Amino acid sequence: MKLELGNIIINDIQFTNEGSKVENGVLTVNPEQIKSLVLEDSNIESCEVFIARPGESVRITPVKDVIEPRVKVEGPGGIFPGWIAKVDTVGSGRTNVLKGAAVVTTGKIVGFQEGIIDMTGPGADYTPFSKTYNLVVKMEPVEGLKQHDHEYALRIAGFKVACFLGELGRAVTPDEIETFEFDNLVESAKKYPDLPRVAYVQMLQSQGLLHDTYVYGVDAKRTLTTIINPLETMDGAIVSGNCVSSCDKNPTYVHLNNKVIRELFKAHGKTLNFVGHIITNENVYLADKERSSNWSAKLAEYLGCDGVIISQEGFGNPDTDLIMNTKKIEAKGIKTVIITDEYAGRDGKSQSLADADPSANAVVTGGNANQVIVLPPMETVYGHLHFVDTIAGGSANNIDAHGNITVEIQAITGATNETGFHNLSAR
Amino acid sequence: MALEFIVITNNPLVQEKFADELNVDYEDIPFRDVLCKVRDLIHKGHRLLTHPLSGSVKPHETPYKSVLVTTKPSTMDLGEVSIIENAIITADKFAEKFPNMPQSVKEDFQLIDCTLITSGIDAVLRR
Repeated sequence: MKLELGNIIINDIQFTNEGSKVENGVLTVNPEQIKSLVLEDSNIESCEVFIARPGESVRITPVKDVIEPRVKVEGPGGIFPGWIAKVDTVGSGRTNVLKGAAVVTTGKIVGFQEGIIDMTGPGADYTPFSKTYNLVVKMEPVEGLKQHDHEYALRIAGFKVACFLGELGRAVTPDEIETFEFDNLVESAKKYPDLPRVAYVQMLQSQGLLHDTYVYGVDAKRTLTTIINPLETMDGAIVSGNCVSSCDKNPTYVHLNNKVIRELFKAHGKTLNFVGHIITNENVYLADKERSSNWSAKLAEYLGCDGVIISQEGFGNPDTDLIMNTKKIEAKGIKTVIITDEYAGRDGKSQSLADADPSANAVVTGGNANQVIVLPPMETVYGHLHFVDTIAGGSANNIDAHGNITVEIQAITGATNETGFHNLSAR
Repeated sequence: MALEFIVITNNPLVQEKFADELNVDYEDIPFRDVLCKVRDLIHKGHRLLTHPLSGSVKPHETPYKSVLVTTKPSTMDLGEVSIIENAIITADKFAEKFPNMPQSVKEDFQLIDCTLITSGIDAVLRR
């Protein structure tokens, strides 16, 4: 299977009263078009649209999802199968990407939401989304809407807006085209008989409301561990429905641009043979954990792996899945490297994970989520700041007289991402 | 016959939603005490069915916790002892942050905990 990503580099977003378009690297958006698209859903009462550019004194919070605008221009399937497009298999043909742009959805779902993106200042260094040109879509529900329906409405609205913007790039000639090819097992074994066979085991958050992930529209907690083509993941097969404790949750943008997959493609045929992408869940029922990790190990063995890379999503409950996956895969004689993040206390001295095993001896960390940071006030806030005031990895009364907010970096979107999407780590 | 289990909880919403249908052991106690109550049951041989650190909302950020254990004790499982003991150690890393939480936020935390344990209950009952 072969996938081309046609990157249209976006250097700015502007508003217009006329038609939305992409021209000369500028994404020009008519906010009224966005609003009418969002308000097609009768569960959404109101919608506001803002622009947040890198370096501006802007804070976006609470962040629901971050989505990359894309359009399928050649080949089967469409963007976000199971949600916007039908469920045809994606991962081949050509997809155009508005590279550098992002849709950021915000709105209150529950009273303790986190997820901060600062576009400048010290907080900006801790989120990858301070470097993207963001179209911020703030939505409020109709009165009395239940939280599940509310989450769904915001999630779908974000996908619709991203697809609307992506469509503007359909006829635009991309600035660069990246080509990714993934061979079947027989072909890759013939091509690279002497290279170590490595698979990627990706753990997907799947515990309940605001803790869910979807694969081709299917709730990941209702799935068995399975094999997906990494090109399908790069082409939108996996989307996010989670945002609580946002430092180590994968927004949809991160699934589309999974760094583990990209690094494995870079190394493929040179230092290793990238043989597969296994996706598994992180349910709350211990028997589900046992079953899912059994299947991870079984599928890694079936792929004939010499090694696997395991990435976690979240903390606490998933630490148990992480260690089960690691122990069982190692027990098959397959080497593992795990990617996680740490809750090691504000001083960094406590045990980092809630579970451990001697076989988990090769670990990459995404940073300590308990690390404390002071965020100075921003001139503009898009969303609802009072969440930060009351909660968000902080503590009561954590805003001082000058408006400085003291929080742990767990409140910052993507700060300790466990797929290597951001820059924190340790040596 | 489906597995028989008890819902150990300090979440009034879980009590309200499931008390008629399931065996719910509700007490208005702190988060940590729920974990300790579960630990004591695991030591007596009850089996742990759901993860005590379910959910991304951190211990003490949310006041609510619900955990499923088997109704009848069997043999103590060392793996489960390790999970519950580690959960208590982990919870102790997080100080209580919001002693005066507004009722509306409390209700949202109740809903999230209830959603998480419902996914566990549905899995056990295979529905």
